[in-house]
Amino acid sequence: MPASPATDGRLWRLGRALRRIFGMPDYTAYVAHLRRCHPERPLPTEREFFRDYLRTRYADGPTRCC
Amino acid sequence: MSLKPLPWVAVGLTGAVAWGAIALHRGETINAAWLVLAAVGTYLVGFRFYSRFLANRVFELDDRRATPAERLENGRDYVPTTRWVLFGHHFAAIAGAGPLVGPVLAAQFGYLPGTIWIVFGVVLAGAVQDFVILFASMRRDGRSLGQMARDEIGPLTGLFAMVAILAIMIILLAVLALVVVNALRDSPWGVFTIACTIPIAVLMGCWMRLIRPGRTMEATLIGLTLLALALVSGRWVAASPTLAPIFTLSAPAIAGWMIAYGFVASVLPVWMLLAPRDYLSTFMKIGTILLLAVGILVVLPPLQLPAVTRFVDGSGPVFAGKLFPFAFITIACGAISGFHALIASGTTPKMLRREGDARLIGYGAMLMESFVAVMAMCAAAVLDPGVYFAINAPLATLGGSLESAAQVIRGWGFAVTPEQMRSLAAAVGEQTLLSRTGGAPSLAVGMAHIFSRAFSPGLTALWYHFAILFEALFILTTVDAGTRVGRFMLQDLGGHLWRPLGRTSWYPSVVLASALVTAGWGYFLVQGVLDPLGGINSLWPLFGISNQLLAAVALCVGTTVIVKRGKARYAWVTLLPLAWVLAVTLTAGWQKIFSQDPHLGFLAHAQAVAAQVAAGTLDAGKGARFIFNDRLDAVVAAAFVLVTLMLVAACVREWLLILARRKRPVIQESPFVETAYAS
Repeated sequence: MPASPATDGRLWRLGRALRRIFGMPDYTAYVAHLRRCHPERPLPTEREFFRDYLRTRYADGPTRCC
Repeated sequence: MSLKPLPWVAVGLTGAVAWGAIALHRGETINAAWLVLAAVGTYLVGFRFYSRFLANRVFELDDRRATPAERLENGRDYVPTTRWVLFGHHFAAIAGAGPLVGPVLAAQFGYLPGTIWIVFGVVLAGAVQDFVILFASMRRDGRSLGQMARDEIGPLTGLFAMVAILAIMIILLAVLALVVVNALRDSPWGVFTIACTIPIAVLMGCWMRLIRPGRTMEATLIGLTLLALALVSGRWVAASPTLAPIFTLSAPAIAGWMIAYGFVASVLPVWMLLAPRDYLSTFMKIGTILLLAVGILVVLPPLQLPAVTRFVDGSGPVFAGKLFPFAFITIACGAISGFHALIASGTTPKMLRREGDARLIGYGAMLMESFVAVMAMCAAAVLDPGVYFAINAPLATLGGSLESAAQVIRGWGFAVTPEQMRSLAAAVGEQTLLSRTGGAPSLAVGMAHIFSRAFSPGLTALWYHFAILFEALFILTTVDAGTRVGRFMLQDLGGHLWRPLGRTSWYPSVVLASALVTAGWGYFLVQGVLDPLGGINSLWPLFGISNQLLAAVALCVGTTVIVKRGKARYAWVTLLPLAWVLAVTLTAGWQKIFSQDPHLGFLAHAQAVAAQVAAGTLDAGKGARFIFNDRLDAVVAAAFVLVTLMLVAACVREWLLILARRKRPVIQESPFVETAYAS
């Protein structure tokens, strides 16, 4: 993914860290991963990614403790 | 001689001096600062020395070994994550209602016994459990506790672990729901605010899915703003003569709504309700915990509660039983929590960037959780003891009125006047605070006291309802997510009986499994609501026992891993906490079932009820229901104990066979792959 002000700034990095902390989906990171490691695979749309992410996240066991 | 050890000597001395100050200030009020200093000093020493010993000697963490996040990176769950971000992620996942409510309830023994267990328990037991499970799961591509139990010990053990987790889930959901019911009954402000969270979450869900796909952060900010509006307008609803009656609900009515909510939420798609609620409640949780830490450090409140109360003898009104074992059962998550083993073998091990990070995240995040428990203890201890007992003792003990309550509490040696309770209720915007058992309201009163002194004098009512909102919000999220997890587990188990039941997308199976799980916790919830002793009395110990028995399972798996790695000489790091947890829970389980004291023993209580029915002082139908519930509680406690004993026996057999060299230790770790990251 080419570096751009939108994805390189401090604010973007902070947003990314917060997403990780709160267990939110991170489409940009996923696209970056696919481009880097599996360039042959088609990119999902943001909507598809979001749907799949949520389905697997809450199906695997408890995500939060008591 | 090098000067390097000097800071650590200073840290150790500070902690020791703080503990000394606490020990010497018996009989006079002491400042919360001493508790905070003693705790932090102990944590730092424990982290620096004990966790390093565990990391280097026992687990031999190796930064040259590639982690699952590196080897299996997929951009979704396997993602190498910087360690402080992952620390936040893990802490946000393990922190919840347990470490807040448990210490508040255990404050009936005074602040000292609970604080000692919270601080030393975490260093020697709780953090060790989280660390060993995180380590084991990290070396096994992020496998879950149940899978590890099956792989390392045997298929039957794995099945037992699954059933135990499901049963614990049911009790956990019931008791947490009961905490919310007791906090919201007859509270229009609270009910209105909590009710608003549902449309707010749905709006966020639609925003993230339909309006601006994937904009989770944006939707969460909108949600938080609306939440603040709902909180502020709750005061107006409570004062309105037309709206207030609509939102003034009795305990059984709230329980009914919660059961309906739990069922509906668990069959709705995740994006619509669960995910947005999860984001909202996690933001609120982290924010409030930070706020509480700042508040306590700014105000440095004196603790009004005595260090040790007379109730260590087992005659306490909040819950029955002596200091040993019940202080340890009640504190639950702040010192050791079996539930964390599920999280430490969930998303976190798949995100570790380096093996060495497991120390900060497994051990360190649990120290932080323990610190939350210490803060909760401080928040409870800033209350006048008389007020604390007026809020936390069951109605049956206090009598129906403020006057009778004041008299009963005076009999225990604590002063409280009806006028004091009336003005306190008015100050927090409630009709009454009498007998709001469950810990959440007294915690909220304590937090409101600290927040209003630290940040804004005069806004006590707003802060009280902020604290209630924060607790109820994430408890409801747990109810929602927990019912869903229970449903998946039940479907998984059902799939063994009849294949289609296991299909998680087959709607009849989804509805059936959800209904069964909701009915399970709903039954215990209703039983707790109708219980004249307030329900928390019987359900919280049951939850504590089940949670610590799960910790015993986790420590067994941890010990097995250590023994199989050829480190049996270090197996005491998990065996000592295991022995302690077993001693505590088995004693508690035995007493809850067989104690002759009807306040403590389920069976003795059933007998006492039968005697009341025979004497004609209790309605026969009601009596029959109480007796059935007592016996059911006894059976549940017995089942927990038996399943755990079988698991422990299976593990001990495995260890002995390995140590006697009659069985080759087969370890299921993934093979070594060298990391590609620069060191």
